[in-house]
Amino acid sequence: MLDSSILLRSLLHQLTESAVNFVMITQMHVKGLMFDPYNNAYIVVLRDEDQAEMLPIWVGKSEASAISLALENVAPPRPMTHDFMKSFLDAYNAKVISTVITDLNEHTYFAKVHLMYEDSEYAIDSRPSDAIALAIRSDAPIFASDSVIRKQSSEELEQWLENLKPEDFGKLDS
Amino acid sequence: MTTTPHYSLDDLIALTVNRVVEDSNTDTRIVVLTRADETETFMIWVGAPEGDSIRRALDSTLPSRPMSHDLIKNFGEHFGIKTQRVILTDVKSSTYYATVYLENKGVERMIDARPSDAIALALRTNAPIYTTHDVWKRRSGQHLDAWLTKLDTKNIGTQEV
Repeated sequence: MLDSSILLRSLLHQLTESAVNFVMITQMHVKGLMFDPYNNAYIVVLRDEDQAEMLPIWVGKSEASAISLALENVAPPRPMTHDFMKSFLDAYNAKVISTVITDLNEHTYFAKVHLMYEDSEYAIDSRPSDAIALAIRSDAPIFASDSVIRKQSSEELEQWLENLKPEDFGKLDS
Repeated sequence: MTTTPHYSLDDLIALTVNRVVEDSNTDTRIVVLTRADETETFMIWVGAPEGDSIRRALDSTLPSRPMSHDLIKNFGEHFGIKTQRVILTDVKSSTYYATVYLENKGVERMIDARPSDAIALALRTNAPIYTTHDVWKRRSGQHLDAWLTKLDTKNIGTQEV
């Protein structure tokens, strides 16, 4: 009896966990890019529709510039890496359907790019920065799994934001 | 997509990537290519992230996470898109132009690229890299040794970072 009850509980637990992982995702929008002078890095700020949840993702300079060029709709004279990536997919009509920030583990975010090619759907592992840079260029939505949002404690960010001066904010965050 | 003319192999010179040199003063990298049948070199200045990506491919370093060019390679592997070859097609005011030739189920496509992205993808997909006789004649890098001497004295020890 005891064994089966433990087994049942563990099964239920697994079911709940997988339901959360598969079903609960929230659409996010890129609200801005900020320079983080303390870490000499950039932060991509994602927020949900209701502005209730915030996801800060730290990225390097070149990744930030790839996202910023797409956000500002700047066409560089030569194709940058993510423009090239987009041309590669366009050449054979592979479509980016969405990108999902899937996990957060020891301060590292994980993402997947969902694509439609011929009649199949593919989910391919990616860094969030590449996924976001490609999603903006493809007009594809960006989602975050609720487990990531839950894991991300916004307290840390808020505290950090308090220390920021207005000039630290980029023009996108106005 | 570009309307690059079709090249026959006679028009082309095969290149191998010899190394990536760091120019820390300008935060750029120099990709040193050598002609397969000669010792003469060809240099292309690229941005730091692209140069570092080429270096990782040369060193066969497997990053813990897929970097941008690894992601393009993964797209190709999932969809069966093969990178057939990369051609450095032109140079205008010190800017080099490249075309990446792709193939999938007998359908060939050409895409315009910067040489850095083209080379970073070619190395990851074992695709050959070529240039034209015209670009080869107009290349930079004839004074490579002088350049490297100047750089190496400044940068000793910084290249492996």
